[in-house]
Amino acid sequence: MMTTARNVRAASSAWRELYMPPRWAMLLRRREILVTAAIVIVVAASTAAHPYFWSSGNLAFIFADSVVITFLALGESFVMIGRGIDLSVGAIMGLSAIVVGFRIQNDGVTLLPAVLLGAAVGIVFGVGNAVLVGLVRLPPIIATLGTLSVYSGLEFVVTNGNQVDTIPSSITNLGSDTVVPGVPVILLLTLPFVLVSAWVLRYTAFGRSVYAVGDDAEAAYRAGIGVRRVQFLTYVISGLFAGLGGVAFLIYTSGASSTTGSNDNLTAIAAAIIGGTALTGGVGGAFGALVGSVFLTVTLTAMSFAHVSDVWQPAGVGVLVLLAVVYDSRSRAGRTRRGTKRRRGAR
Amino acid sequence: MVADHAGRAGPAVQREQGLEALTGADYEARGVSKSFANVTVLHDVTVHFHRGEIHSVIGENGAGKSTLLRILAGMFPATQGELVLNGKTLPALSPRDAQRHGIYLVPQEPRLMPDLSVAENLYLGALPRRWFGAVAWRRMIGTTEELITSVGLRADPRLPAGRLSLAQQQLLECARALSHGCGTIFFDEPTSPLTARDAERLFELMWQMRDQGLTLGFISHRLDEIEAVSDRITVLRDGYVVSRAERGTYTRENLVTAMIGRTLTISRRSRRTAEPGAVMLDVDELVAPPEVSGMSVRVRAGEVVGLAGLVGSGRTEFAEALFGIHRPASGTVTVNGRNITGASPRKCIDAGLIYLAEDRGRNGIFADVDIARNATSAIVGQLPRAAGSLIRPRKEQEIAREAALEMNVRASSVAAAMKTLSGGNQQKALLARWMLAKPLVAIFDEPTRGVDIGAKESIYATIESLAASGLAALVISSELEELVRICNRVYSVYEGRVTGELAGEAVTLEALGQLAVGA
Repeated sequence: MMTTARNVRAASSAWRELYMPPRWAMLLRRREILVTAAIVIVVAASTAAHPYFWSSGNLAFIFADSVVITFLALGESFVMIGRGIDLSVGAIMGLSAIVVGFRIQNDGVTLLPAVLLGAAVGIVFGVGNAVLVGLVRLPPIIATLGTLSVYSGLEFVVTNGNQVDTIPSSITNLGSDTVVPGVPVILLLTLPFVLVSAWVLRYTAFGRSVYAVGDDAEAAYRAGIGVRRVQFLTYVISGLFAGLGGVAFLIYTSGASSTTGSNDNLTAIAAAIIGGTALTGGVGGAFGALVGSVFLTVTLTAMSFAHVSDVWQPAGVGVLVLLAVVYDSRSRAGRTRRGTKRRRGAR
Repeated sequence: MVADHAGRAGPAVQREQGLEALTGADYEARGVSKSFANVTVLHDVTVHFHRGEIHSVIGENGAGKSTLLRILAGMFPATQGELVLNGKTLPALSPRDAQRHGIYLVPQEPRLMPDLSVAENLYLGALPRRWFGAVAWRRMIGTTEELITSVGLRADPRLPAGRLSLAQQQLLECARALSHGCGTIFFDEPTSPLTARDAERLFELMWQMRDQGLTLGFISHRLDEIEAVSDRITVLRDGYVVSRAERGTYTRENLVTAMIGRTLTISRRSRRTAEPGAVMLDVDELVAPPEVSGMSVRVRAGEVVGLAGLVGSGRTEFAEALFGIHRPASGTVTVNGRNITGASPRKCIDAGLIYLAEDRGRNGIFADVDIARNATSAIVGQLPRAAGSLIRPRKEQEIAREAALEMNVRASSVAAAMKTLSGGNQQKALLARWMLAKPLVAIFDEPTRGVDIGAKESIYATIESLAASGLAALVISSELEELVRICNRVYSVYEGRVTGELAGEAVTLEALGQLAVGA
């Protein structure tokens, strides 16, 4: 056999033993850590310019402000890791806020039933998406673009010209009270959901099959994974978290109207992407959703501290997302070997 | 489910153990036929795979080897015939069922999840669990380490699989078969993406598996490998079993003869009177890693030159490197004295080089667009314009119609969508597109693939008449008869290099057959 240059090169590397890099090196490369570092930098810079930035009041505001997006981004992460997308999370969140808000306002429903009701509303509309994508086999972007319109329209139907504006302070206090200075109660209520999501994604068979489906659905199917079932469940989970986000919205803003959530669909996706969840599936995690949304809120708050007009906020979010996506494609191109990812598009 | 079919214990036990715990099955395809649409690719094929043997299925491209293996592994159902496992007829199989019966197909290109860890890839679809569906990570990593070591792969189980080399991924696929408790393993050309040394490692593993009593099926194009590895050989040609042999009862000549078949007669070897003219295409030591490792080719005006070689030998990659689809690493490409090394397809077309791509569906036609615009798509810039800028659709259609008529395209009108045409007519319409570009040099990659006999003859006639009028034609084909039929001269390509050249009367099936398999 001929010994071509290629043969020599390959032979020298192919049978080398492959070790993991040390744990700390892996940790440093994780997106969550990178974004956290970026948060620290933005906070430090803003505090240097405006000492009030580092006040407990402002920090509590930032954390509380990011909670709704955290919920939406959590659900979105499940969907996006499975190589789908859910454009309707903001609308589901709004519907949940309205439905639950009216029950609280009119029937005096207390917190726990309110959370359960919000979850139920979210699951119902999540199942709507799940059926369209998992059973009817519509492309996710088309299906959820459709339900986005439907659900946003339903918000007007349900509110019927009214709005939610009287939420008892026993509930809204959760959004303003702090456990220790700077840490609002609502953040503590959010963390368990983040931890459970992280556990599900990282340590359960279901979680791992979400990654597998997002990486290569065809190969996952051949390996015996119920691809449709997994996709179905991710949309239900996305709906569930959006429903919970609706309750969080009520707690934090003490009101809801027919347009609640209309700006949050893309912001949720943005937070997930910034937190390291790839649009191409197979990559991401729950902590990414948390740090992604905190980073967005911190940056936007820093922008207004720097006297950047609020009208620049959407553009700012867009730039951040683009930066995250460019960073993703760069780092992935270097990491993935020839052929493995690329081939998927070909057949 | 029916776990004891393959003579294995329960899956839970099996997955924890390595090679020693497995046995292969006695597996037979009995009278299997397979048709896709109206094309029958397997005719009444009976192949018996025995425990403790490596049984190779060989044949030319399109002989039906891969189809047979996929049927055996449950990837698709047979049209007729039955699969018999340890004496029992199997019902319809899915890949999952096949794995439950202990049957595993290692695909030609490993298909792993690049972002998931080695361990997860190994157990994909059957992750070991603890309570609440939690994955038993520590146990999984421990057993992964054992399993991959038993196939000779040394890597950290937590490493993302995308970091493994192709050869290592191949080994991981083997380990995956073991982790699913599969003792009957088929390899679909596992060595084609591997270097010689890596292939050697794979063979060692296969021998070890055979000696443990596993049942192994193997496909390869490379006769030297087949001879080294096989205990038993079945030769397929055009979907028929044409020969069977056991170790020591055949010669390489027997095999080559059986594979390419003596019965086929060349309809007509073309005779050309005109002397070839100046060198129009001059490729010097072109290197385009990883597939093309130094190829020099020359084509003169009026000549039809063939490139013979197997799929994966680098023929198509060579053409794509000429046409600016892949960037060559070194070497030069000259068309009519003009250096176009690494130029874009647009520049190549302008220089007079055109490339009729191999995969018509993916790289050639615009399926939903009408024939006229398909035909003019390479010369949009040169179409007649109104007011200096607007394309004139009427003129465009006329030009397209003339070109289509010249190439003998049968269609109701040039306004019909491309996808309404038969494969042969699509190919002729593509010829029309490229001839409108008035090329000096044309590369035809598998010009008659998926085309019926009648259309084939007409495509041959077209290529010949174009050559007669001064075109320098380079024809890439896996069908040796085709090359013998139309070429004045043939280069053989093996593993990215030109390994031989035949001209005139020396271009025969026998000679080409030997060269193409690297013999």
